[in-house]
Amino acid sequence: MKRILLAFLMAGLIVAFFGLPVNAGTDSSIVIGEDSGPITMDPAGSLADVNMSMMSNFFDGLLQRRADGKQYPALAERYEHPDLLSWKFYLRKGVKFHNGNPFTADDVKFTFERLKNPKCCSEFMDYGSQIASVNIIDDYTVVVKTVIPDPTFDQNLDILFMMDKESTESRDPGEVGLKPIGTGAYKMVEWIRGSHVKMVANENYWEGAPRIKNVTSMEVVESSTRFAALISGKVDVISGVPLESYDMLAKNSKIEILTCPGRRVMYLALGNKPGTPLADIRVRKAIYMAINEDEIIAKLMRGQAVPATQLAEPAMVGYNKNIKRLPYDPAQSKKLLKEAGYPDGFEITLAGPNDRYIQDEKICEAVTQYLTKIGIKCKLDVKPKAAFFPEVVEGKHNFYLLSWMSNPYDYRQDYSFALYTRGTEKGYGAWNGSGYSNPKLDALFDDTDKIVDKNKRRLALEDLNKKVMDQVGVIPLHIGVNTLAARKEAGIIIKPRPDAFVVFKEIFKK
Amino acid sequence: MVTYIIRRLLQGVAVLICVSFICFVMFRYSGDPMGALAGVYATAKDREQIRIAYGLDKPFYIQYVHFVARATRGDFGNSYVTRVPVLGLIVERIPASVELAVISAIIALSLGTGLGVLVSLKPRLAINRLIMAGSLAGISIPTFLMGILLVMFFAVYLGILPPFGRGETVKIGFWRTGLLTWSGISSLILPVVTLTVYQLAVLLRLTRAGMLEVLKEEYIKTAWSKGLSPRRVIFKHALKNVLIPVVTISGLMLGEILAFAVVTETIFQWPGMGNLLLKSIYESDQPVIVTYIILVSIIILSINILIDILYCFLNPRIRYG
Repeated sequence: MKRILLAFLMAGLIVAFFGLPVNAGTDSSIVIGEDSGPITMDPAGSLADVNMSMMSNFFDGLLQRRADGKQYPALAERYEHPDLLSWKFYLRKGVKFHNGNPFTADDVKFTFERLKNPKCCSEFMDYGSQIASVNIIDDYTVVVKTVIPDPTFDQNLDILFMMDKESTESRDPGEVGLKPIGTGAYKMVEWIRGSHVKMVANENYWEGAPRIKNVTSMEVVESSTRFAALISGKVDVISGVPLESYDMLAKNSKIEILTCPGRRVMYLALGNKPGTPLADIRVRKAIYMAINEDEIIAKLMRGQAVPATQLAEPAMVGYNKNIKRLPYDPAQSKKLLKEAGYPDGFEITLAGPNDRYIQDEKICEAVTQYLTKIGIKCKLDVKPKAAFFPEVVEGKHNFYLLSWMSNPYDYRQDYSFALYTRGTEKGYGAWNGSGYSNPKLDALFDDTDKIVDKNKRRLALEDLNKKVMDQVGVIPLHIGVNTLAARKEAGIIIKPRPDAFVVFKEIFKK
Repeated sequence: MVTYIIRRLLQGVAVLICVSFICFVMFRYSGDPMGALAGVYATAKDREQIRIAYGLDKPFYIQYVHFVARATRGDFGNSYVTRVPVLGLIVERIPASVELAVISAIIALSLGTGLGVLVSLKPRLAINRLIMAGSLAGISIPTFLMGILLVMFFAVYLGILPPFGRGETVKIGFWRTGLLTWSGISSLILPVVTLTVYQLAVLLRLTRAGMLEVLKEEYIKTAWSKGLSPRRVIFKHALKNVLIPVVTISGLMLGEILAFAVVTETIFQWPGMGNLLLKSIYESDQPVIVTYIILVSIIILSINILIDILYCFLNPRIRYG
């Protein structure tokens, strides 16, 4: 009897110790559970969305992008584009790095030139190699010249984060990747890799001190654990709401789900090598019209996506709202195949990743079945992204599932990477692994680079985009929706961003 | 004994060289590291430049020789993804994994053998049959299911234990421990249980089977008839002879859960080594994977040598010479 009493006592004690109400965030602090953690604290170390998202809290670019997708001044108060090659920046005065060093033109020059170094910044090489020179006019004026005319140079300036020359040079490169010293709204307190990042508000921030003072960003990769963390109140907000627990969260009255259309366009790339069936526009249309995108969205994406009409998304320069999807019409598809001389179909292999996009493998399977229905013998070749992406770059596949999200919000990047003919001296087409080639469209694209007037250039890109879709350059599928889920009682005002960044200075409490 | 240990160490070095070579070959040919190194927007020219900067343009055997030469000096190079020294990346994960693995191994070994002995003494007792049925469940429930169920019950439904992470940790020297705070200890409970159940069940069944066999032996009967106390008979005469396979298995399992508790660490977002390995495989971060496997080989080899030495104490008839 005594023993049983003792056991009860112990159990009570344990509950008393561990069962104390867990309050995730106090008044001016929040705890967020994110689906992936930062990779490095070197802002030029990784182009991964998750890393740039984190960096946007510790660092500033010359410009910044707000939740509306538009650019606003940041460390540059204003800038000019006097000729096709030059960009002149007037820097903000009185800005200090977290270590107290003032931000000046030297830091801009250092940051841009560092991007050329493959050892630290191999992922940013493309940005670095397009910069020809950086000239310091005075402490707060800089002129950057690009190698070739690049009308979208300024569009990347929100992710080229300014680093402190003195502390970056004097520290070991490994150390630079561990402790960020920027001008950003938050200073890092602690980073335990694979676990969490803690940060505090930068009270001297040039835009004014942020309202949330303490932020803890927990990395919770496994979706069911992220779900548990939110429900149990260990975190206030989670990013990347898993599709499988979406319904459960939506029904929970204590939880609020916030959504906004994302920017990543899922599409099927298809080559057009002469002599292959895919070179025939009728076959391309037949494949397009055989795919029941509404069904994919309803059944596989559980409604968390919108149909895509083109490779660009609506916020981008070059998005053409007049482009419509081809209707879902398998009977017409069969007819087109017959006209093209393939009444009994042909054999083709659809490749794709199985661990990169939401439902990627399932989407590939669905497409295979749609094509089988119109008589095309479609084989499936899905594999982990670590194996799949290099194969795309090598050009091993001519029909595959991929997605594109243009960082500069400009169709120029979509076209030059995913559609421009490979093997020209320009070196474009790095992600055009299907080998799509249309010299006429390429020539149109080259012409758009010579247009200085922003409006005329936009129209030219919209026109190019229309012509690409007339040729079925790609088969667009859908654009996913970005979701956040928050506990209502935490009283946090947070909006998901189209780029899925989590920028803590935009967040506040009721 | 000394010559034996030296011989084992030399064998270990040979094994390490083989392991490192196989790893190196496997990961060199299982995909181009440029996928991890060059970003999405790298042009063919950028790629070439990066390849040269990282020495990836040189023939394979030269790369391997360079790797080994640097590794013997303790320099395993930098991660392709995070750009920081690989060794540091792995070493900072060791405390989390060791605390999880060792605590779970201690519980599994003590409870497993304890219950195993208990069950073997009266195998037909209802409660003992229940324990055996439970152990069967422990072996057959997949770790991920176990973990998720525990999280859903204790963290979501009851809300008394944290669902993930290590809680508050304290840093003593380089060792970041979760054993000194309540939140650290409470965070340990669910992952430890998840990790322990399988091992506990295996050790329990192993001990029981061994005990049942040994208890029928002539010398045990002699011991009983000599009028020895049950404690001496069971623990000194019977259990000690059963322990050899038990210790072997628990040693092997310790190495495994130390290095490859991938599932448990993922479910609980435990910042340990298994979690790092999984992430590195996803990102095809070759230097981390190769170094990881080499370090793990060293750990497992050392554990095995220690166990061989332990045998001598368990059974003095075993002599190495």
